[in-house]
Amino acid sequence: MSDMVETNSVATTGSEPEKVTMKDINKAWLRFHYSVEIPHSFDRYIAASFLWALRPILQKIYKDEEQLRQAYERHLVFYNTQVVWGGGTILGIVASMEEERAREEHETGESVITDESINNLKAGLMGALAGIGDSIDEGVVQYIFIAIGLPWAQRGSAFGAFFPFLCFALYQFGFGWYLTRLGYKLGRQAAASLVGSSKTQQILDGLAILGLFMMGILAGSYVKISSSLKINLGNKNFFVLQDALDQLLPGILPIAAVFLLYFYFKKKEFNITRAIVYMTIALGLLAFIGIL
Amino acid sequence: MSYNIEIWQSLLIAIWVGLVMTRSLGTMTLNLRSSPLVTSLVVGIILGEVGQAVMIGAAIQLVYMGVVGPGGVNASEPAVAAAVAIPTAIYGGISAEAALAIAVPVGLAGTYLYQARFFVNTILMNRVDTAAEKMNDRMMTRYTILFPFLGGMLLFVPTVFIAIQYGAPFIADLLQSATSKTLLHVLEVVGGGLAAVGIAAAVYIIAKPKYMPFFVIAYFLAVMLQELQVNMTIYALLGALVAVVYVTIRKEAADMAGS
Repeated sequence: MSDMVETNSVATTGSEPEKVTMKDINKAWLRFHYSVEIPHSFDRYIAASFLWALRPILQKIYKDEEQLRQAYERHLVFYNTQVVWGGGTILGIVASMEEERAREEHETGESVITDESINNLKAGLMGALAGIGDSIDEGVVQYIFIAIGLPWAQRGSAFGAFFPFLCFALYQFGFGWYLTRLGYKLGRQAAASLVGSSKTQQILDGLAILGLFMMGILAGSYVKISSSLKINLGNKNFFVLQDALDQLLPGILPIAAVFLLYFYFKKKEFNITRAIVYMTIALGLLAFIGIL
Repeated sequence: MSYNIEIWQSLLIAIWVGLVMTRSLGTMTLNLRSSPLVTSLVVGIILGEVGQAVMIGAAIQLVYMGVVGPGGVNASEPAVAAAVAIPTAIYGGISAEAALAIAVPVGLAGTYLYQARFFVNTILMNRVDTAAEKMNDRMMTRYTILFPFLGGMLLFVPTVFIAIQYGAPFIADLLQSATSKTLLHVLEVVGGGLAAVGIAAAVYIIAKPKYMPFFVIAYFLAVMLQELQVNMTIYALLGALVAVVYVTIRKEAADMAGS
């Protein structure tokens, strides 16, 4: 048996790789979508679920046992990304790369697609797509749905509590489904066209604006900070702090609080727990002495 | 009012929390975990008090916008918080603001449990490696899906159950006996103001300082129209249209400058 040290391929003894169908791709996404954070661990993050999702495809294309084993071990390395943008896209791209590699190894005994090139692709994309995915999905899209359902929930409506979840779950499932197929079809080019295009940038910017707008609406509707301070000036004259503030600028206190916290996050540290503690203490004290 | 939650109720709630926190319902657990809304609905159904539960869930949600952290580790676990705080509030007869006082520390405790789950999974990963080496598919699936699920359930279900069934009444009694007007006022103020944290966190995450004017516009819009109780969907539509207009103008300006 010849050994190809440079391309780490293994001469195959197995039969011809089967063709990967779109059904296989869909199934891979379904498996990934289900398993993604179940085996989530410190040392490998979500590598195990990535392998579990890809396994049926790997078994289809690598008919030689040693090849298959190597493929398994290849995909147990550290892997962490956002489930839809990273998970879907990379799953599709890797499936297409592995298929190509299996075909090349079967035909010529070696492949230009090495372990290194596959790992580089995963490592290179997982960070960037995770950044995009986290900020869009968990940062904006989820909260737009929540913002819409929240008023209903506030009034005790069960639908209001269920609506954001339903919309978001369908969105993530559907969009990830699409991205997996896109990743597979475009192969390695998918990354460039997805991440770099100006159309994508426009959509991201538009979503950011919508997200901020909705946060403003929520702040205006639900943050309740007002002063109960009433000073008796004698002669039935009262100085009511809140009235004075309202004359100056209605709604000034809540938005001031939001900006205060925002700059705390920006300049100091993004630690929500600390912020909650400080805010509780501050509000509590001010309420206690009667200013709020 | 005596705290009389049934054991089967606490157990069901604990099982729900376990299912969500072990992520065994799939990707959709993302929202189930980072938002207290559906958990509040489930708790409400189990306790037979949907309206009240959901209202408290909404209050908790406001504090916990922007709670998702990179690498899957959150600043707080709103689902756990809601699961414990809501039964306490309903059976303890305390207000939604006071429920927040319980939700915050419980949510924090939840993050420690979640980290413990990672730890367990890290150990299980070794067996996944062995399974891959041996090409044993069944074993691999067991250590990828089944055992992490069981491990996580063992972590979450007993703890949440005990917290709801035995820990909560203790806290509820404590808060109920506090009839001081000042204390109630303090709780109300804190509850109303904490939402600012959640919103500031979300703004920070969306993080495009040059778009801040949109935030401010929307804020004063909501303040001005508060009396009208405008439907959120209309606001969302307005926001989307504003975004489209802005992006369009920017593109046309760029095109003109280009030519």
